Amino acid sequence: MARTQNSPSDPVTKQRRQVTLYGLTWSMPIVIWQLIFFVFPLIFLFLISFWLVKNYRMVPGFDTINWVKMFSKGYFWDAYWRTLGYAGVATVVTSILAFPCAFALAFKVSPKVRRWALFFLIVPFFTSYLVRAYSWQIFLNDNGIFNTLFALIGLGPFQLLNNFFGTLVGYLTLCLPLVVVLQLTSLANVDRTLIEAAHNLGCGRLRTVFQVIIPLAKIGIILGAVFTFILSFGDFVSPYYLGGSKPPTLSILIIDTTKSGQQWPRAAVVAIVMILTLLTIMFASVAAAYRKRA
Amino acid sequence: MSKTPSSRPLVTFDGVSKRYGSVTAVHTMNLEIYEGEFLAIMGPSGCGKTTSLRMLAGLEEPSEGEIRLDGQRINEISSIERDTPMVWQSLALFPFLNVQKNVEFGLKMRSIPAEERQQRARTWLERMEILELADRDISQLSGGQKQRVALARSLVTEPRILLLDEPLSALDANLVVRMQGVLSRLQKELGITFVYVTHSQSEAFAMSDRVVIMSQGQIDQIGSPKAIYRSPASRFVADFVGANNILSGSVIGTGTELSLNTAVGEFRCQANGYEAFSTGDTLDMVISADLVQISMEDPGTQNSLHCRFISEEFVGSIVTIFAELEDGSDFKVQARQRDLASMSLEEGVAFFASWSATDTHLISRGQD
Amino acid sequence: MSTKPSKNILLRGYVVLVFIFVFTPILTSFVFSVNSDRFPTIPLGHFTTHWYETIFADPDVWDAFRISGIVSITVAILATFIGFCTAYTDYRYNFTGKALYLSLALLPPTIPLVIMGLAMLALLARINMSGEIYSIVVSHVVLCSPFAMAVIRMRLAQIDPNLESAAWNLGASNWRAMREVIVPFCLPAIASAFCLTAAVSFDEFAVAWFVSGLNKTVPVIILEILQGNTDPQINAIGSIVFITSMTLVVLAQLILMRKTINQTTTGI
Repeated sequence: MARTQNSPSDPVTKQRRQVTLYGLTWSMPIVIWQLIFFVFPLIFLFLISFWLVKNYRMVPGFDTINWVKMFSKGYFWDAYWRTLGYAGVATVVTSILAFPCAFALAFKVSPKVRRWALFFLIVPFFTSYLVRAYSWQIFLNDNGIFNTLFALIGLGPFQLLNNFFGTLVGYLTLCLPLVVVLQLTSLANVDRTLIEAAHNLGCGRLRTVFQVIIPLAKIGIILGAVFTFILSFGDFVSPYYLGGSKPPTLSILIIDTTKSGQQWPRAAVVAIVMILTLLTIMFASVAAAYRKRA
Repeated sequence: MSKTPSSRPLVTFDGVSKRYGSVTAVHTMNLEIYEGEFLAIMGPSGCGKTTSLRMLAGLEEPSEGEIRLDGQRINEISSIERDTPMVWQSLALFPFLNVQKNVEFGLKMRSIPAEERQQRARTWLERMEILELADRDISQLSGGQKQRVALARSLVTEPRILLLDEPLSALDANLVVRMQGVLSRLQKELGITFVYVTHSQSEAFAMSDRVVIMSQGQIDQIGSPKAIYRSPASRFVADFVGANNILSGSVIGTGTELSLNTAVGEFRCQANGYEAFSTGDTLDMVISADLVQISMEDPGTQNSLHCRFISEEFVGSIVTIFAELEDGSDFKVQARQRDLASMSLEEGVAFFASWSATDTHLISRGQD
Repeated sequence: MSTKPSKNILLRGYVVLVFIFVFTPILTSFVFSVNSDRFPTIPLGHFTTHWYETIFADPDVWDAFRISGIVSITVAILATFIGFCTAYTDYRYNFTGKALYLSLALLPPTIPLVIMGLAMLALLARINMSGEIYSIVVSHVVLCSPFAMAVIRMRLAQIDPNLESAAWNLGASNWRAMREVIVPFCLPAIASAFCLTAAVSFDEFAVAWFVSGLNKTVPVIILEILQGNTDPQINAIGSIVFITSMTLVVLAQLILMRKTINQTTTGI
């Protein structure tokens, strides 16, 4: 690795171009750690997708049978499109629900309130997602709090749990605070004079939101959407404990295939397909976020 | 379009105040802006000039008083409905739109059909001599080019008034002069009203028909650049505008001229309106630095002062000499460089500064 | 620039609604951890500490807390160190392949946890390293170091770029400048990163579930209870986990904030 200093204007730093022990000390730990415990396991996962299972034990080899088998199974493709659809819906719903909140916090409250709101939005990130999902069970199940309340006014019972609604509530629990934070950060950085300029040129308030504010906050909005997609695409807690686990999503498929069926190579196939899907979506979104103009 | 503005006020500020909590940014402002004039509002930062402009644009609401556009009260009309386009100091161009789309923005908001929109935008780009930049991104433009885009964007809707908030302050000196020319020419050709807020005296004086000097939320003086330059209405204006020397003193004799006693000597004065003062009045005598002559010998006949040279500053062929008087106060002299060629001025050298009794201006101390 | 007040009230009401949605499950968990009913619903039963007594009587839970503690502290130390190294590299150096370097550093959180767990277990099992406490540690460090890096990198962005040069100029070696200038400057961020990574690790269940084997962490215990029947024990454990994590997060926040306040009051 050829090294140059970060501050090229500085004459003192300019000469230090060669690789030094000092530079290596700081740059190498992450490389070593992530190669051994992140990249290598993923490569290994890719390799075992070609291995075989005999007598409940994996045997090294090179056979495309797992790929062929998985790709020919209807349930795999069903799960694939379902997971993609769930994640897509979660992305759209979360982004839309988060936006008015982020907008209000960015433009309609004092900086002090905004700082506190930001802090409280970060809190849930450090609470157990499992416990939160379990709490929603208490609210959503057939004899749960919501249905008890509905019964009081003579409605229901509604099925709120073990369907996509339940799953979506879980995805929202996981993603909504994060998306609000990301959108808020982008919105708070929007240059207020540009909003005034839009008004000054006769652009109505709602129209300004769509014509000026959203384009200016594009990066945060896309980032929020990407995170929602990644998190809900890979999450197994919501579809399992709130969505009732059937029909399965890809992550449930992985768990079922490994924990009960011992079919590791096939789970590896699912995992690789998931990673490739996510990488594609991510690169496409980053490209969209940083593209110059719409 | 003639230089003299029509007598009909296009905009009227009628006792307008703006308060933010306990701070008063603009204090009972009364101002008439005429159709077709180039009006500069000038003052130090925090004097309320930008706030006044923003109230006119509808970006701030007056706390008190009434702003009328064409005789109609506009206090409650939102910025969106007013046709008072503004050019910002930051220019506020939309970074996600290209040059052409930026210029079209106001037309699009007025639901003008796409074809006409494009046509009109291109006409304006051509007029601003930037048609070839139509498809560029804003980030690819130079400071001067951005300026032209901002002007085109504001003018494309053919407004009757254009508000400018220190639009040239981000440009370097050469470009400022060029853009001043562009703005002056544009205003004359269009014959619409320009209201130009600035802290720069040279910008204000170079372009405007009338100048409003503001300080601490109040108007100090309104007048032509020349009137303000030669006859400042208050000590603040005299200090703020131009290179003025101010000598404070009291009247010790009246008649065909005033005799004024100051800390650095006695002076005679025949400024306009000197008859109004009587013995015992205290006042400030303003002597414009460019009306002062210097010599190494005492000229005797005129008002003259003994000075000690401190330093000099060159701007083009004009030299500003900074000197010290006997009581330690500052004195400035502006002269052409070639007139000083024969003098050997260096630090500590003594010389005489003199001026004619008619080249002075008097400000009553009560007016402060 | 005033919008109709009615619209603002509507927006504010909406913000409150979002916060209710976010905090309802968290608060509910507290309420039901001291509620007597076996099957939690409304109306509430009476106050009880029964569920807390149950879990504290359970040696498995004690074990889990011990393991979680060991794991999260070890992870925090390692992840903060690696995160610091990476943040400093990003701050100080430019080199070809830096984009790749940074993706390697920051990509792990984008890989679904199930897949991380699967890949880790597949590899570790193959080399007989699964089911141990360190199996959890190595995987969690992968997940946590990007967070540590982000926190410390933000702090480094505030450093005066001439500070380090000035130190060299005064004759300090690279190492000396690091010790005397960079590390002290980053100390609040380092402490903050330590708390945050500890909290993330303390909460992580998916990867831990795959690789922990018999060395179950607290979240893994929760996951297993969840797979069984409804049991308010979850609420009790969850509440303890929440308080632990929150203590760490608030601590991290306070350390960062106190430093910033000190600077704004003593600076300039």
